[in-house]
Amino acid sequence: MQGSTELESSARSIAVASRRSRQRSLARREALAAYAFISPAAVFYLVFIAAPLMIGIGLSFFEWDLLTPAKYVGFQNYRTLWHDDEARKAIVNSFRFTFWSIVLHMGFGLALALAVNRAISPVLKYFLRTAYFFPLLMSWASVSLMWLYILDPNFGFVSYYLGKVGIDSPSWFTDPQWAMPALIGVDLWRTIGFTFIIVLAGLQGVSPQLHEAAMIDGAGSINRFWNITVPMISPTLFFIFVINFIGAFQIFEPMFIMTHGGPRDSTRSIVMHIYETGFRSFEMGMASALALVVFVVIMLVTMVQLIVGRYWVHTE
Amino acid sequence: MAVSRKQTAKLANWGLNLILILIALLIMAPFWWVLVTSFLAYKEAFTLPPKWFTTSFTLENYREVFNLVPFGRMAFNSLKISTIVTVGAVTTSTLAAYAFARLRFPGRNVLFLVFLAALMVPQQVTVIPIFVMLRRFHLLNTHEAVYLPALINVFGIFLLRQFFLTIPRDLEDAARIDGAGHLRILWQIIVPLAAPAIAALAIFIFQGTWNDFFWPNILLFSQDKMTLPVGLVALQGARGGGPVVYIFAGLSMVMVPLLILFAFTQRTLTQSIAMTGIKG
Repeated sequence: MQGSTELESSARSIAVASRRSRQRSLARREALAAYAFISPAAVFYLVFIAAPLMIGIGLSFFEWDLLTPAKYVGFQNYRTLWHDDEARKAIVNSFRFTFWSIVLHMGFGLALALAVNRAISPVLKYFLRTAYFFPLLMSWASVSLMWLYILDPNFGFVSYYLGKVGIDSPSWFTDPQWAMPALIGVDLWRTIGFTFIIVLAGLQGVSPQLHEAAMIDGAGSINRFWNITVPMISPTLFFIFVINFIGAFQIFEPMFIMTHGGPRDSTRSIVMHIYETGFRSFEMGMASALALVVFVVIMLVTMVQLIVGRYWVHTE
Repeated sequence: MAVSRKQTAKLANWGLNLILILIALLIMAPFWWVLVTSFLAYKEAFTLPPKWFTTSFTLENYREVFNLVPFGRMAFNSLKISTIVTVGAVTTSTLAAYAFARLRFPGRNVLFLVFLAALMVPQQVTVIPIFVMLRRFHLLNTHEAVYLPALINVFGIFLLRQFFLTIPRDLEDAARIDGAGHLRILWQIIVPLAAPAIAALAIFIFQGTWNDFFWPNILLFSQDKMTLPVGLVALQGARGGGPVVYIFAGLSMVMVPLLILFAFTQRTLTQSIAMTGIKG
């Protein structure tokens, strides 16, 4: 008896051990498979994101024009940058563009989405969605070229019709006062469809029962908008806000193609300034330092947004 | 008053519809103007008042586009690069997303966070170093320079992982008992179930690459290597003192296929934008 239980228990422990080792080898196989699956993405990540970030940080401490050997200058680039009026102006321009871009996109995008999110015929809805969204499909290059001529003071149709109603239209892209507003307008035309579509999707998620219940309680439409619609779609609005900020702060193509940053640097955006520092003046170290400063600014602003968002955004 | 409350509401409804249609027409007007103008001989192209309809018609501007720049070649380059980037980035994203969503391995959470952190790195931070690296490897002015850096798409990994997590595990468990390997489970079970998310990602990577100006503008110098967006801007330069209306023909050739395609795929496209929230 005694001997048999001993045998049994040792047999059991062998079985448990073998099961464990089989599990362990299974787990190892799973881990190996996982690493194999991740490796293509990881390789490209290392080469084209991690390494460039490191190289960029390194480059920012050098003075290098691509041709002659790089020279270590310590924090010189950052010091120069601090006193550089052009860089400061570019940052101010980018914030100006971003501010108006966000205000106009959120305002018009929400208004359009609310207006389309009614009981209207499906055909009309389809047409409106197609029309509002289409400019977003065009590349910034096409859009910029198009508007360069549409806003031309001599033969563009905008100036012509403004003239017809008695408004003497400015020479949009050569007037330092009007170049930036013109670009903000073109950007609104091109990307309003994005905000519109996302907000529309958000609105469709608001249950009609809530509105009906509020209506029975006698809430007017403005009241319902602020107390039901806005809180219900606040995650969407917040998302749009963050995405618009990141997109607008990195604006480059319209300035590059339509105004070349001018007139008198009034439309030089920060990314355009980085581009010119790097690829026109060939100051690779300076451009890297500039890019890193912008990176930190974007990160700080995004963090503030996330913290503020936590208090404001309504979650179920 | 004779006008009842109901009638006023109906009238307001129609008024609003009218305003919405007017806005739509205003948004579309630039496209129409470019298209009509592109068919006009350059002498009458920009006479005022602007022409919204025309009876005279010439293809001269279109012919001239092909004389000034290798337009067909540029279209082919765009198609080639966009296809490689789409297939490549969707593949790397799908594989990695499966591992992060389904497999257990040491360092999974840390690795995922490391990948996610890249979402915060904007392109202007990496552009200078990537340019320097590609120059070092003699890859400037090649298509590889444009598509290689685009084969990692951190957003795609994140998006697909989130979607994979919503797929119930039961189906895979059954397949695993039958002895299916991970690659087979991914290909035969997960990918078909996640088709909408994968399609959405593919559409947006394609559209984004097709329209990209920033990278090709920096990395491609010769006209026969250029993609369409850079090519159009090059056309503006190649025209010299020639008529502006040539550019309109180039723009129309980029625009019209897009418009036709979009008219048919609008629903899928806008749904996927709402789902993924990627900006074109």
